[in-house]
Amino acid sequence: MTNESVALTIPSLLLFSAIFILLFGFSSYYSKERGYYLTLGTLLVTSIISGSAIFENYSIEVIPQIFNGMLIYDTFSAVFISLFLFGGFLTLAIAKSFIDKTKFFTFESFSILLFSLFGMVILSMSNELLSAFISLEIASISVYILVGLNRDSLKASEAFFKYLLLGSFSSSFYLLGMMLIFAQAKSTNLDVIAEYILHTELNSQLLIVAGGMLIMLTIMFKIASLPFGAWVIDVYEGASLPITAYMAGIFKIAVFAFALRLFLSDYSAFEMIYDPLIIVGAVITMIGGSLLAVIQNSVKKMLAASSIVHSGYLLIALASAGAGNTSAASAIIFYLFAYFISALGAFGVLSYISKGGDKLINYSDLDGLGKKSPLISASFTVFILSLAGFPSTIGFIGKFYIFTSAIEAGYTALAIFGALTAFISIYYYFKVIVHLYFKDSVNERLDYGYKVSLAFIALTALIVLWGGVGTSLLVDIPGINALNELSRDAIESLAL
Amino acid sequence: MNTLSTIIFLPVITGVVLSFFRININLVKIIYMLVTSLVAYLSIKLYINFDPHSSRQFVEFHSWISEYGINYHIGVDGVSIGIVIMNAILMPLVAVALYKQRDKHGYWINLLFVQGGIMGAALSLDLMLFYLFWELMLLPIFFMIGMFGYGKNHFMTMKFNMYTIFGSLMMLISILYIAVKYKEQFGGYSFDLEALKYITLTTTQSLLVFSGFMLAFAIKIPIFPFHTWLSETYESAPTGAVIVMSALMAKLGAYAIWRFLFTLFNETSHFLAPYFISLGLFGLIYFGISAMNQTHLKRMFALSSASHLSLIVVGLFIYDVYGLIGASYLIVAHAISSAALFLMVGMLYERVQTHSIKKLGGIAKVAPKFSLFFAFFALSIVGVPLTAGFVAELLIILGAFHYNIYIGFVAATTILIAMLFMFKMISQVLYGDVNDMTANFKDLRTHELFALIPLALLVVVMGVFPDYFINKIEPTAKSYLSEKKVVNYDK
Repeated sequence: MTNESVALTIPSLLLFSAIFILLFGFSSYYSKERGYYLTLGTLLVTSIISGSAIFENYSIEVIPQIFNGMLIYDTFSAVFISLFLFGGFLTLAIAKSFIDKTKFFTFESFSILLFSLFGMVILSMSNELLSAFISLEIASISVYILVGLNRDSLKASEAFFKYLLLGSFSSSFYLLGMMLIFAQAKSTNLDVIAEYILHTELNSQLLIVAGGMLIMLTIMFKIASLPFGAWVIDVYEGASLPITAYMAGIFKIAVFAFALRLFLSDYSAFEMIYDPLIIVGAVITMIGGSLLAVIQNSVKKMLAASSIVHSGYLLIALASAGAGNTSAASAIIFYLFAYFISALGAFGVLSYISKGGDKLINYSDLDGLGKKSPLISASFTVFILSLAGFPSTIGFIGKFYIFTSAIEAGYTALAIFGALTAFISIYYYFKVIVHLYFKDSVNERLDYGYKVSLAFIALTALIVLWGGVGTSLLVDIPGINALNELSRDAIESLAL
Repeated sequence: MNTLSTIIFLPVITGVVLSFFRININLVKIIYMLVTSLVAYLSIKLYINFDPHSSRQFVEFHSWISEYGINYHIGVDGVSIGIVIMNAILMPLVAVALYKQRDKHGYWINLLFVQGGIMGAALSLDLMLFYLFWELMLLPIFFMIGMFGYGKNHFMTMKFNMYTIFGSLMMLISILYIAVKYKEQFGGYSFDLEALKYITLTTTQSLLVFSGFMLAFAIKIPIFPFHTWLSETYESAPTGAVIVMSALMAKLGAYAIWRFLFTLFNETSHFLAPYFISLGLFGLIYFGISAMNQTHLKRMFALSSASHLSLIVVGLFIYDVYGLIGASYLIVAHAISSAALFLMVGMLYERVQTHSIKKLGGIAKVAPKFSLFFAFFALSIVGVPLTAGFVAELLIILGAFHYNIYIGFVAATTILIAMLFMFKMISQVLYGDVNDMTANFKDLRTHELFALIPLALLVVVMGVFPDYFINKIEPTAKSYLSEKKVVNYDK
């Protein structure tokens, strides 16, 4: 398949399946099982198609006659699209038990999930502010609904309403920012804007600077960076576990993908203006996120709060990328890989052991799990270690790249601050391990069933470990070097 | 697979495999014995084949993370050979002594992991590889204290873990910083020890980077103000973990000072040496005096270890050929004696269920063999002639006198202080009246004798024929001094 046809096939397949499930849901042949496997199959097929397109370096406009350069399919978007689809697949595969045991995963929810993925796919291809906004809203609105899926739960409805209100409010800033940029640059196309910025005196670009700030505000909101991320804990708490995994692992990455494209192609000229803001944002995010994470009693809320901290690390790298080194930008992509796979795994374990209940899982609910189900606890430990950045996991390599690039960009103090945050995170992450292995509980060995979900959790844990030590010396499976190369290719393709 | 990789990864892989199967615990112990004995055999062969006059040997080099110049680079030299051989010898003996007491899979599996981790950290010549193993060896200890420890073990294992990781993270930033500087100066990343020693840093930079490294090592050893985790952690840790921590991990901290700080920041080390010597001497006396006041056996030995480790730090920082040889000799000698003592404390606890010195007494009357070995190892720590400790301490004190007569004088008090706290402990535990607790004290069983006799022999051999062992490290110690253009006191 040519790259252009890949770029067209994936969104259309997603859209087709979404609409098909929507119609199929009314027929008497529909069962939850069938809807589930249909969605899973679509995600598997699309992720394989998309995965086949990430191994070369290219950048093409998707049917320029129709879309007029709105959409660009390059290695960058190919990498991200593969991540979303693979992540969606993993989330669903792990969540099988959860979906079976709950009532609220109706056929609409599957098609909404596919719609949201469709939005993210287009978002990562958008090379234009307007289409980016539309696809961002497609994805966001779908996610709002997914959060509120469980209509019987008061918490979920509250989370849904809160997220909807705040999310729409923050989106309006994006619109305003886009308008300001359009007023000055007379275009919404990123290439044209970049051209304009390059050829105009910097002092006379007030509107573009202001517009960029407003857009940044929306992005900060969506990636849950403080002070705009106060919604995270409530929303993640209210949403059902697979959806929380989906939001933390995938939706955040989609927004980051667009942020990277925007800042690396357009706003690198304004680094003096934006870097201090991003740095302040990173510091506040890391402090606030750590404080929030330390005080939580529930594991789910702790993971939600710690996802704020991880946004902080990413902002460190974003600030360093502004200082003009490409290794920082590829560090972001690598870190996104790392966080994505570890967070999916960690939330996946929670959804697996929650058995479909919407009860919050407290630390004490994990007591003695190490004896009751060793494989689950071992995998959970691996994810936790990776999130904490312990060596031999992919999370460590991710932190290593981010700190290195920060030091290289001259932000040594920021790197030290990041290390201190990582130190605090040891406390709340290792608390999980303490409860898993050291505390006794009276229960006998538990059997959760769903061996397939378990197998996928174990597979994810293996990926996390392989990403931390993987080398072609042992087996010829792509390891750290390959991921590294991939993220570098992705960044380079932005400039093509 | 080469020898060095085998001794690192054989225990680790065995540990991983064992943790997937719920096999009979006796089978686990047999496999543990087989693997550790094989590692011991390979290491002893390594030690005999080790040629003291060439520097790095048995080197293995593979590219790992190519873009950042991180390599799988391991090799052994006079600095690391002592730790390797100690690690290899102690692990099977620990099992011989403890096999009846411990019936949990996790205990033995974690011991295997920690053996691999320590081997890896001692053999790494690449900073990221070193960091990887340095952190990884912490995890099994964390699990061991948490799962098999005593008292407030959950709290203590967290405290110990966080304390150490704090140091490690500061070291990580330092490592990254010098790697970035290397890139600025030579145009590409490298984490290789050989490459990194050519970087130039300003005074402030090197001071800061040095402190990052030193923080990690000082916490692990521990050097004076960073010891607050020590006695409580030792108190709540199970015997196997205590042996690993006191005999191997703490020594690894001292080893890392020599290996990394003296190689990378030679001038800074020289500049800061007086401060660390004073800290070391202060710690030596301070820990010694605190040891005298302890009523808990493990805490007392923890502080006595810390006191001797401070002496090792002094021996390293006086930058004298005697000091360096003495320090690395003491690393080995103290490892053997303290491992043996902690083993015996474990046996004692198994028999009387107490660690309190005050409640014990009169063991010499009911258990002569136990008392003989206990007193012997305690005396070897003090440094009584004909034991390994004597040779080591004498060398360090000699070096200290070369450095400065007052320093030498203070360093010499170590023997006095050690004598005070050891004799006080011996008189209370072994002599005195037999009480209810110790009346039924069983003497050493055969398997316990099997574990202790090799250690005792080693102590004597190292004390009577030190030449063979010193010859293995002397050229390395000298090369460090001549390379650094320091006044060299040739014999």
